[in-house]
Amino acid sequence: MLHDDSVIHIRSLVTRFAGHPVHDGVDLDVRRGEVLGVVGASGSGKSVLLKVVVGLIRPSAGRIVVLGNDIGSLSERQRIALQVRCGVLFQDGALFSSLTVAQNVRLPLVEHTSLATDLIDEVVRVKLAMVGLPADAALKVPAELSGGMRKRAGLARALALDPEILLLDEPTAGLDPIGAAAFDQLILSLQQGLGLTVFMVTHDLDSLAAICDRIAVLNGRKLLVGTLGSLQLETNPWIRAYFSGPRGRAMLRTGS
Amino acid sequence: MSELNVPEQKWLSSISDSGSLVLAGTGCWNLSAAAGLAQSLDAVQMPANAGGRIKLDMGRLEALDTVGTLLLRRFRDRLAGLGHPVMIVNVRSEHIALLDAVWRAADIGPVSAPARQPIRESIEGTGRACIKMMRASVELIAFFGLVISTMARVLVHPRRLRTTALIYHMDHTGLRCLPILGLLAFLIGVVLAYQGAEQLRRVGAEIYVVNLLGLSILREIGILITAIIVAGRSGSAFTAQIGTMKVNQEIDAMRTLGLDPIEFLVVPRILALMLVMPLLTFFANMVALFGGATMSYVLLDINFLQFINQMRIPIDITDATVAMIKAPVFALVIAMVGCYEGLLVSGSAESVGLRTTKSVVESIFLVIVLNAVFSVLFQFLHI
Repeated sequence: MLHDDSVIHIRSLVTRFAGHPVHDGVDLDVRRGEVLGVVGASGSGKSVLLKVVVGLIRPSAGRIVVLGNDIGSLSERQRIALQVRCGVLFQDGALFSSLTVAQNVRLPLVEHTSLATDLIDEVVRVKLAMVGLPADAALKVPAELSGGMRKRAGLARALALDPEILLLDEPTAGLDPIGAAAFDQLILSLQQGLGLTVFMVTHDLDSLAAICDRIAVLNGRKLLVGTLGSLQLETNPWIRAYFSGPRGRAMLRTGS
Repeated sequence: MSELNVPEQKWLSSISDSGSLVLAGTGCWNLSAAAGLAQSLDAVQMPANAGGRIKLDMGRLEALDTVGTLLLRRFRDRLAGLGHPVMIVNVRSEHIALLDAVWRAADIGPVSAPARQPIRESIEGTGRACIKMMRASVELIAFFGLVISTMARVLVHPRRLRTTALIYHMDHTGLRCLPILGLLAFLIGVVLAYQGAEQLRRVGAEIYVVNLLGLSILREIGILITAIIVAGRSGSAFTAQIGTMKVNQEIDAMRTLGLDPIEFLVVPRILALMLVMPLLTFFANMVALFGGATMSYVLLDINFLQFINQMRIPIDITDATVAMIKAPVFALVIAMVGCYEGLLVSGSAESVGLRTTKSVVESIFLVIVLNAVFSVLFQFLHI
């Protein structure tokens, strides 16, 4: 049976694209309230794993249980109900370009709740303030925002319905080091404040050291999970190179 | 101490404590319950002789999220506004961070959109649009000059002509256009013959349907249908291709490598379309006439031999060449507008879509205007 504290539960997942396997027998448990970082080489299928978990890509085989729902056997209504409990932040925010930032955050609230308009407006305002956007950003369209602000706005939209799980696709990619560190801290403070479980695909060694409780390494179509300390002791050459290369060493020096 | 009137016990229960009233939150104060929770909090009636201390006990909540916290804040503000000193007590440890975060975020006031002045905005908008249109026309003319001079250079140095690209585009804009163009031209011929036959039969002049078809198709309809299909099919493709390259910074990369994007991308497309368009027009003319002839045979019993013989009377070779003169000009306009709009794409993928739409609208507009100009011109020249 499932562990009570496992919010995402993946067993022997296989994903193939046109016969070419991306994942071959991946097992993973994400525990309630943790920040899990998923790393791997470019093209190793990290983002695909995220899309499989949120149901955008159908796996070729395997069992995925999210918040107690087996996503292979959900009706359309159940699928939507589950989707509402998971917030996703895509790489560049994926904001709807024809809507203002406030309208972007409003949309899920209007569609999925029956709250009064003034309450929705207040929720939107609070969410935008929580992700650290200045108040005047609400009326801008995404094209008028910087990359970092777009990500924050995307985060506010992902959090609009107070999800239990937050899935992030390379949240710090394309940000300068200061902006990236600030974004890491933002994720951490939101995770603690809202009691989120965070599933984060990343390339950023600093994010791993700063906010991740556990790290899953996707290598050779398999997944290996451990803490920063335990992964350094791995003998797998790719994992060694990842954590013991010049960048990895620099991170560990500052991280410890 | 007077009791508050608490209508529903689902989310709130009142306990009297020594000296102050305690309202304890119960159940789930979260998004899924928010609509009902908001209503029942609003329905809590205040006693008229208010002023006593109220404690909000949050220790029994099963769940709390942002919306629940906001509603708590609103409730507190309402009670405080009625003159009650309010304290929130007994917050569970896992909710403290959330309360803190929401409180801080909610303290930032709302920003309202600047007031709109519709009349002024519309006048301003008209002015801006005019100036923009003027600038766009000047730029299009400048682009035309640039393309012509680059083409001249390519003609002087034929080795600079990208033959592979030229043939690729001739294949894509010409050969692959034949099935759709053929089908549409055939149907246009059928429709024209049908409409013409209906009218001419009333005066017993069925045979003149041939004159009608011959003149209208060869001089106007054939070239127009071709130009419209090519604008929709190839002009838009040019904009989308070049626009995507622009978004991927391929055009910038070309410039840094010392390659001229006009020579590489624009000239082969324009030349290809100019070479292919007369052929497409001829094909469309023939198929449309065939469609008309088929319909004439079915409706009016005019067989193909009679059709051809009758066609010789009103039509001579100049009628057939009229379309051939127009074809390369239209091709130039369509390809140039397509490439120009593609090069104007900036930054986002969204602008590729906008520019593609614009390119099709502009090129069809220009083709129809030019067609009218040609008609007047040919009238003057007695062609």
